[in-house]
Amino acid sequence: MTTMKRFGALYAMMIPVVLYFLVYAYYPLARGLQISFQDYRLMGTHPYTGWDNYRLVLQDASFLDAFVNTLLIGGGTLALGFAAPLAIALSLNEVLRSWFRKTAQMVLYLPHLLSWVVIGGMWIFLLSPDTGLVNVVLVKLGMSGPIHFLADAGWSRWMLILLVTWKDMGYNCILFLAGIVSISPSLYEAARMDGASRWQQMRDVTLPQLSGTMKVIFLLNTLGILRIFDPVFILRNPATASKVDVLMMYTFQRGILEMKIGPAAAASFLVVLLTFALTFAVRRLIRFDEV
Amino acid sequence: MKTKPWLAAAMAAALSASLLSGCSGADNGGNAASPAPGISASPAAPQKLRILSANVGGKTPEENEKFEAALSELTGMDVTLEKPAEGYDQKVLTALGSGEKYDLIEGSNLGVLDTFVEQGVVSDLTEFVESSAVLSDPKVIPAAEWEQLTDKDGRIVAVFSKFQGGTMPIVRKDWLDKLKLSEPQTLEDYYEVLKAFKEQDPDGNGKDDTYGLSTSGLYDIQGFMSAAGLKYRYVMEDGKRTIPYATDAAVPMYEWFAKLFKEGILDPNFVTNDTAKMRNLFLTDRVGMVTYWDAWVGMFNSLRQQQDPSTAFAAAALPPASGPDGERIMRRGDPDYWFVPANAEHPEAAKQFLEFWQTEPGIMLGSLGIEGEDYIKEGDSLKLTDIGKEHNMDHGVPFWYNENVKPPFGKLPGVQEAQDLVKAHASLELALPGWSDAEKIVQQYALEAMSGKRPTRSSGCARSCSPRS
Amino acid sequence: MGDRYDRLGWTNRTFDALNAGFLILLMLTMIIPFLNVLALAFSSGIASMQPDIVLIPKDFSTEGFVTVWSSLDLWRPLLNSTIVTLSGTALHVLLSSLAGYVFIHPHLPGRKLMISFILLTMMVPQEAVMIPLYVVNKDLHLINTLSVLVLSGLVSGFSILLMRNFFSAIPYEMAESAKIDGAGELRVFFTMYMRLAAAGLATVTLYEFVGRWNMLTPAVMYITDMAKITLQVALKSMIVDSAATSSSYLITTNVRMAGIVISVLPLIAVYPFVQRHFMKGILAGANKE
Repeated sequence: MTTMKRFGALYAMMIPVVLYFLVYAYYPLARGLQISFQDYRLMGTHPYTGWDNYRLVLQDASFLDAFVNTLLIGGGTLALGFAAPLAIALSLNEVLRSWFRKTAQMVLYLPHLLSWVVIGGMWIFLLSPDTGLVNVVLVKLGMSGPIHFLADAGWSRWMLILLVTWKDMGYNCILFLAGIVSISPSLYEAARMDGASRWQQMRDVTLPQLSGTMKVIFLLNTLGILRIFDPVFILRNPATASKVDVLMMYTFQRGILEMKIGPAAAASFLVVLLTFALTFAVRRLIRFDEV
Repeated sequence: MKTKPWLAAAMAAALSASLLSGCSGADNGGNAASPAPGISASPAAPQKLRILSANVGGKTPEENEKFEAALSELTGMDVTLEKPAEGYDQKVLTALGSGEKYDLIEGSNLGVLDTFVEQGVVSDLTEFVESSAVLSDPKVIPAAEWEQLTDKDGRIVAVFSKFQGGTMPIVRKDWLDKLKLSEPQTLEDYYEVLKAFKEQDPDGNGKDDTYGLSTSGLYDIQGFMSAAGLKYRYVMEDGKRTIPYATDAAVPMYEWFAKLFKEGILDPNFVTNDTAKMRNLFLTDRVGMVTYWDAWVGMFNSLRQQQDPSTAFAAAALPPASGPDGERIMRRGDPDYWFVPANAEHPEAAKQFLEFWQTEPGIMLGSLGIEGEDYIKEGDSLKLTDIGKEHNMDHGVPFWYNENVKPPFGKLPGVQEAQDLVKAHASLELALPGWSDAEKIVQQYALEAMSGKRPTRSSGCARSCSPRS
Repeated sequence: MGDRYDRLGWTNRTFDALNAGFLILLMLTMIIPFLNVLALAFSSGIASMQPDIVLIPKDFSTEGFVTVWSSLDLWRPLLNSTIVTLSGTALHVLLSSLAGYVFIHPHLPGRKLMISFILLTMMVPQEAVMIPLYVVNKDLHLINTLSVLVLSGLVSGFSILLMRNFFSAIPYEMAESAKIDGAGELRVFFTMYMRLAAAGLATVTLYEFVGRWNMLTPAVMYITDMAKITLQVALKSMIVDSAATSSSYLITTNVRMAGIVISVLPLIAVYPFVQRHFMKGILAGANKE
């Protein structure tokens, strides 16, 4: 059988997707790349300026700060945002009463339905130093004084990592659960025959069988970490800005607020490039293609 | 079944094709391929005018449609008014960057206007304004005001869309009276008043739940920094730009705030507050003083009045703390303006609109709203409908310059006094390129110093954020 | 599944209790924000602006909902949002599944290349392509059509990779033997894979449904015709509060929260249906024991 005859149908199934991406992703991408090499005034001509925009961005101290912040916050989110939902999925899987599991799953999903504006506003209240629930409880538990979690530069990155993880926990947890569901029950049966305890079943059956799902989720999360924006935009304030302003915040400021379209495009492409390198490394590391 | 390789593609194509034809339907004019300029100018069809606005228009999509119709009727043109629900800056940028053609665009930031001038976006309106009988009349717009909208080459590049006020300390007058305090003049007076608000239970609920002062970050401490003669953003001194908030002279002021913070007089959430939270604290008896817009003195009063007609609540504007030579510094807001993009298809229609907007029918539409919807005429007098009351006589133009047009319902209580203060003391802040980076450093330093997290005397900022140019 | 474990074991019971306690604590952090939104939506104007966490309505009132309802003619935005969300989600799930299915064939030449092709689309921040994307839609005469909202994010690498993952849990030999019996790719795809990966489909559908229902930026950027406005835009236009200029218009918190409740309600209504599919998968797994 020739390749075309054997796989022709499969290639045909890809056509709409490829077409869509060519028109809506690759063409704009190419145009965006072009803009990053231009002096893109809003009106009039757009002369090419070589690497000027890139030079401008790379020599900008704010860009470097934003890069460091992105790595710290992104790295933290990647680690915690992977581990926490996994732990919860495993914990949910151990729940025997189905009504409780259903309810828990639904409730854990709730924050995913609300926008960052709502969720952020809510946590600003909850974490407030005077009437915020968190501080009220902490002080009752014997802490000396309230902590201003969101205005204290020392706490700001941690709070972002925690809140981002918290909001998407329910969704990522569902992904893990969907993976657990597809594990063949016969494997558990065999393990029980061998006298495996619940803990051993989780360690020897669930976790190894879940490795494919874990790889996918880890890779998908990796792709997003350099583009984190909404939570930072909502939770930042001038006192913590220098610790939490990430790369996309930088492009937002340069591009949309200051209307420097060329440099903003250059900064965006540096983000693409960094994501590219990171994804490549992660793909190699987790042997994604062997799923 | 034999596989049909083309089937998958065909199916998807058919699906999306049917969807496209099903939904596209009537395409609103102006977005598609641009019509030849000659056609729109033909006498039979009404002149077209396409506007992108941030504040002017209806409060809801439905009302905006009616607003559009009213505009068309009053101007005799075919007006399209697009008012994005969110992300206005992004919309303007994308529209301009992708060659979308508007005849008028609203703006409210002079820094942005400068950028637009620099990037060749705006058209020169000098000649039009100077020769226009309406706009050149100092009773319609005071001659001195035009300086705000003049670029560095002396060209007028935009026209005011309303009268923009300023911000000032707003105090609970009823609390002052209750605690038998007089209006503060100096920084010391302010301290005494704020301390009393914190400690003497001004709302009389027996609980220690009031603060003296709340702000939203550095928004807005100008009324207090006035005591040291310091103005926000840049000030030009001997041709050099300086940032007064980042000089050594600012240090004692931050220490003053740190004292308020430590004594619990300043709302501890001041760093994370947005302006809405700050306003809400004031409206709900939790804080005795905030700094906000002139118009809001009236808003505060009328809101509480609506809630409870017999309320004692009374908000009043205060002059900023007096400086070393008795001078007071107050912040005036950047003006709201219209500009005509360089690629406008109907610049003449745009100019016609700009004149209309400063005349009585334009002002009535921009303030009260739509006749028959927001207000009705009963003989010679006007009457607001329920919708009109809800919309607070603000459809983009709460206040205006034109002295010949009197507000039909007067101003809300306290607003006139506040605006007199604006006229007496307020001046624009100077934003120059690079401010957004400098602002970050200034704000971080100031906020940390104000919350007592940084020994102010080390003057870390005084050195690092004063520009040397 | 009760017989899975020795339920009388002391360690097991302690474990179950601890486990449940942990989950309940976690659930509380999720329920509190929701109760807060609900309570504020049902409070009166001034009461809703009290700067405290409110879990039961203060000064109960439905004025927030009345204001939203009476000031907005909501049926049309609601209809538009429904059209865009339903058709967009259906197409998205179908196209993403098709591509996901293609990727499970281990011997397909160019497979790695195609995966890279798709991964790259996921690395591009929207800000980088904002202007070019607008130009594309303008050139295709899609501005001011509902189609543009369906086409925004019609396929995503995210969903493709997820579907591939769910499909790859199905034994590949099943597909091969079906094909030896003469079934075409599409038939294998629709009759076997789409059915067996029900939990996966439910997951991707749910995600896409929520995303589309909440979609705001494209709706603001590309739609200016009031007849084609979506629910999120209509609500936003009414509850947006511009503090930057001396505007004198106040949106009380209860109105804002009522808007949020109205926009989230359909999502919560849909959730149980999706979850039923999802649970079916879990139960199917359990019953096979």
